[in-house]
Amino acid sequence: METIMFFLISLPVYVAAEKDLSAEGGKETKAVDPFVYDYHSLRICGLVFAVVLFALGILLILSRKCRCSFNQEKEKPKAPGDEEATAENLIVSKAKEPEPEAKAEN
Amino acid sequence: MGYGRSDSYRVATTTEKDEKESPKKADTKAEKKIKDMDDLKKEVPLTEHKMSVEEVCQKYSTDIVQGLTNAKAAEYLARDGPNALTPPPTTPEWVKFCRQLFGGFSILLWTGAILCFLAYAIQAATEDEPAGDNLYLGIVLSAVVIITGCFSYFQEAKSSKIMESFKNMVPQQALVIREGEKMQINAEEVVAGDLVEVKGGDRIPADLRIVSSHGCKVDNSSLTGESEPQTRSPDCTHDNPLETRNVAFFSTNCVEGTARGIVVCTGDRTVMGRIATLTSGLESGKTPIAKEIEHFIHLITGVAVFLGITFFILAVCLGYTWLEAVIFLIGIIVANVPEGLLATVTVCLTLTAKRMARKNCLVKNLEAVETLGSTSTICSDKTGTLTQNRMTVAHMWFDNQIHEADTTEDQSGASFDKSSETWLALARVAALCNRAQFKAAQDQLPILKRDVAGDASESALLKCIELSCGSVKQMREKNKKVAEIPFNSTNKYQLSVHETENEEDNRYLLVMKGAPERILDRCSTILIQGKEQPMDEEMKDAFQNAYMELGGLGERVLGFCHLLMPEDQYPKGFAFDCDDVNFTTENLCFVGLMSMIDPPRAAVPDAVGKCRSAGIKVIMVTGDHPITAKAIAKGVGIISEGNETVEDIASRLNIPVSQVNPRDAKACVIHGTDLKDLSQEQMDDILRNHTEIVFARTSPQQKLIIVEGCQRQVRHTQTDGAIVAVTGDGVNDSPALKKADIGVAMGISGSDVSKQAADMILLDDNFASIVTGVEEGRLIFDNLKKSIAYTLTSNIPEITPFLFFILVNIPLPLGTITILCIDLGTDMVPAISLAYEAAESDIMKRQPRNPTRDKLVNERLISIAYGQIGMIQALGGFFSYFVILAENGFLPSLLVGIRLNWDDRSNNDLEDSYGQQWTYEQRKIVEYTCHTAFFVSIVVVQWADVIICKTRRNSVFQQGMRNKILIFGLFEETALAAFLSYTPGMDVALRMYPLKPSWWFCAFPYSFLIFVYDEIRKLILRRNPGGWVEKETYY
Repeated sequence: METIMFFLISLPVYVAAEKDLSAEGGKETKAVDPFVYDYHSLRICGLVFAVVLFALGILLILSRKCRCSFNQEKEKPKAPGDEEATAENLIVSKAKEPEPEAKAEN
Repeated sequence: MGYGRSDSYRVATTTEKDEKESPKKADTKAEKKIKDMDDLKKEVPLTEHKMSVEEVCQKYSTDIVQGLTNAKAAEYLARDGPNALTPPPTTPEWVKFCRQLFGGFSILLWTGAILCFLAYAIQAATEDEPAGDNLYLGIVLSAVVIITGCFSYFQEAKSSKIMESFKNMVPQQALVIREGEKMQINAEEVVAGDLVEVKGGDRIPADLRIVSSHGCKVDNSSLTGESEPQTRSPDCTHDNPLETRNVAFFSTNCVEGTARGIVVCTGDRTVMGRIATLTSGLESGKTPIAKEIEHFIHLITGVAVFLGITFFILAVCLGYTWLEAVIFLIGIIVANVPEGLLATVTVCLTLTAKRMARKNCLVKNLEAVETLGSTSTICSDKTGTLTQNRMTVAHMWFDNQIHEADTTEDQSGASFDKSSETWLALARVAALCNRAQFKAAQDQLPILKRDVAGDASESALLKCIELSCGSVKQMREKNKKVAEIPFNSTNKYQLSVHETENEEDNRYLLVMKGAPERILDRCSTILIQGKEQPMDEEMKDAFQNAYMELGGLGERVLGFCHLLMPEDQYPKGFAFDCDDVNFTTENLCFVGLMSMIDPPRAAVPDAVGKCRSAGIKVIMVTGDHPITAKAIAKGVGIISEGNETVEDIASRLNIPVSQVNPRDAKACVIHGTDLKDLSQEQMDDILRNHTEIVFARTSPQQKLIIVEGCQRQVRHTQTDGAIVAVTGDGVNDSPALKKADIGVAMGISGSDVSKQAADMILLDDNFASIVTGVEEGRLIFDNLKKSIAYTLTSNIPEITPFLFFILVNIPLPLGTITILCIDLGTDMVPAISLAYEAAESDIMKRQPRNPTRDKLVNERLISIAYGQIGMIQALGGFFSYFVILAENGFLPSLLVGIRLNWDDRSNNDLEDSYGQQWTYEQRKIVEYTCHTAFFVSIVVVQWADVIICKTRRNSVFQQGMRNKILIFGLFEETALAAFLSYTPGMDVALRMYPLKPSWWFCAFPYSFLIFVYDEIRKLILRRNPGGWVEKETYY
């Protein structure tokens, strides 16, 4: 099992590795050292990428809170009129508050 | 458990027999050791109501006039202790905290942490420079458990703080007579034998045997569920102490009148105290979700141990030393522990709890969030839960026609024709012959919310008239009251004489209300369309029919009549004598009937309907009368239209009840006294064969028995019992609330005891909120499955690198730190975001989940997560690993077996496939770059995983990507991965290195493969319902 898997994994690796090698070979003619990689600009690009993604994510969450706070509720398949029902409940619960006293005094 | 329960009943019945043999002894001695639970489950042992007043006095050596002597009272107080309920033993805070730390899922993580420390200890003892991985992992695991433990502890502490706020701390006072002197003392100091006086508005300080009473009425609703006040008088009217008129109970309210009574029980020995003790003594079982998590832990442990042992044997076979093999074993077992899952589950449950709290369901215990979702039976109390707990005029009969009044809470219902003259007359009688009045300073409140001083039916009339005819106060001012005969039980009527509105008219107006048949007897004419007509037989029949019809609706009917007194007999200034009636009370003019009921809440019928379509059986359990209970049950749909009880069938077919086949009747109404004689088998039979059940006149103990009966019910021939929810507000409900799988108490009207006993509180007292609870519970169960499937999947790409490291001796592809970064870092937000997923189909249309068959985590889920998706993910990870090593010069063929040289610190000239030489440090940098790449690959394949986990059956294209939290999760997960890889200093801190852009894309094909694979699986699953794919892969 493991050996089969090993072959499965390594097959594309060979292909990729060879491709890369030929690509690097091409670069060599342009007198670029294939063994030196510009890690500094890679770092900066990567970080910029991360920050952008992060900001996008935050924006997404904030947009949810500001504009479409109702959307989440509506997304769920619900019986129509459910929302009104909750609104009614709220009113009832608020208005009902003095009742325990009434009960006690009665 | 079931056996233990039935045993306890057997014990209970035998002690009952013992007690019957020696009742005298039982009274004093047994009372002391009554703490025994079995004893408490029995009916109330009060006997004083059957004794004469003298006997009671003798028993407590008290005097009917003088009361106890101070010395005696002090003696009793020392003997019996203060008259207060012992508060239920509260669990100390540290025990609660420990429960959070060591309960359920945490155990798994603790075991993992201990194993890690053990492995580190072994390494430390055997190696010179032990790798710190195991130590760190152990520390992180412990930290995770402790942090999550603290989180859920504070979460629950928050809800319990809300609970605390419910308690009212006002000390009660009581008016007692000792040595002939009236004195106001603290209710706690009241002792048995004290002579106590109560008046309207007081709380009864202890169980009282009434010795004298003046129009005293008590509100027993918190004890029995009856919403109408009961009259109290010195005579014994019933054998059952709960039903007799001469006992008033501790902590019920005296509504009106005054009464004097001898204290027979105090504190925990009172009826209320026994119920409270019974409640706190009951043990409630594990929540369904706790059972599910336990099952999950078993599964996970099984897989972990299996893998561990297998590779232990393999490692030994491959020639590793025993100690190395043990470390591998521990490593594999620990790697199977999903570190992030505990936090994920806790956060998911908390989110749902918060969502439910916003919808007025306050959950006291996090685990109870899901319980409502798996509930299959709801036992609901009537008063205050299904009904509004206020008497309201529901119907009127005048002009030979039944009119329907508006009973809705917000007065949105239909109105009746108010133009008739008769209606004006009826309204006038109802307003004048009425002692109830609004309390002061409430003008700004809507009429229905105003407080009223007076009994329930009179307040109902008052509010009804105020609503339809305007100010009753003005009406009363215009018609000054001249004389009045209050209601009493012999007359059964109430009468008053008023001046007329017209100043010119010097006649007096006599108005009367009372029991309809009594009123009719006094009438010779009847008002039809404002005209007096003689009362003929036809009219009497019409009256009888109307009376029967309204009575059959479970309503309390009152008759009204009036008379304009002839001026020649009763001139202005006539002295009406009410004690020795010197005026006519015959030949009056009948005006109409009004009937009152405690109407169902507006949202309840809809909610009951929803419960039914969700496969939940709704049973009504009430202390109220069967007719009323049945009427309400029909009103709210607990007995649905067209379904008949045995009695209904009998009366329809005109045959005796015994001839009806009980199987024909789907509905049934069971009286508490019948329930007493039922055996367990009969009880089960009833619960099984009737779909619509109403229990009436039940005692708290019987409620408990009913709940246990429901829990015994087996569904779909499975062995596990049903999951029962109980709703209630009164003290009488609290034992049942505690016993139920989930007890739901009422936030506004509920008593403190019931709130303490419940797992959940409906802040708006609305039964309809339960439906929300059911919906949320079912949704979170489904979403937890998805969340767990998602989290478990990444376990495979995390374990396989270690396995291959052992088996084929390649450099380690993924380290402990990177594993933790996935489990506690990138995977967290997406896993939690699945809790926000919308339902795939209408979850309120399917049957409740079967606790034995529908598991939270089953073999199919493990097989999908581990066996299928996880494997593809591992392939993706290994692909990037080999790509990076190959790009650096180590072709895969060279890697196999290289481990010993690779990890050898002294080997600084290891040659790659191209003959380049690598120092140890250089090699390690490449290895850690591989770790980072493997980590990033897992993030990439987890994108696809979270998208496929969104649905279990539907395609993503059907479900849509509207879950914004999930999209946020995807972004954050990727951003975090990039941060970890590119932030300067990470190479020192977490040994993570920057990746070339191309390495990010290595896993993309695998991510795509996962998506396509699972979409195809779900497509086949939808196409062939019940087919092989569904049986084997639908989790």
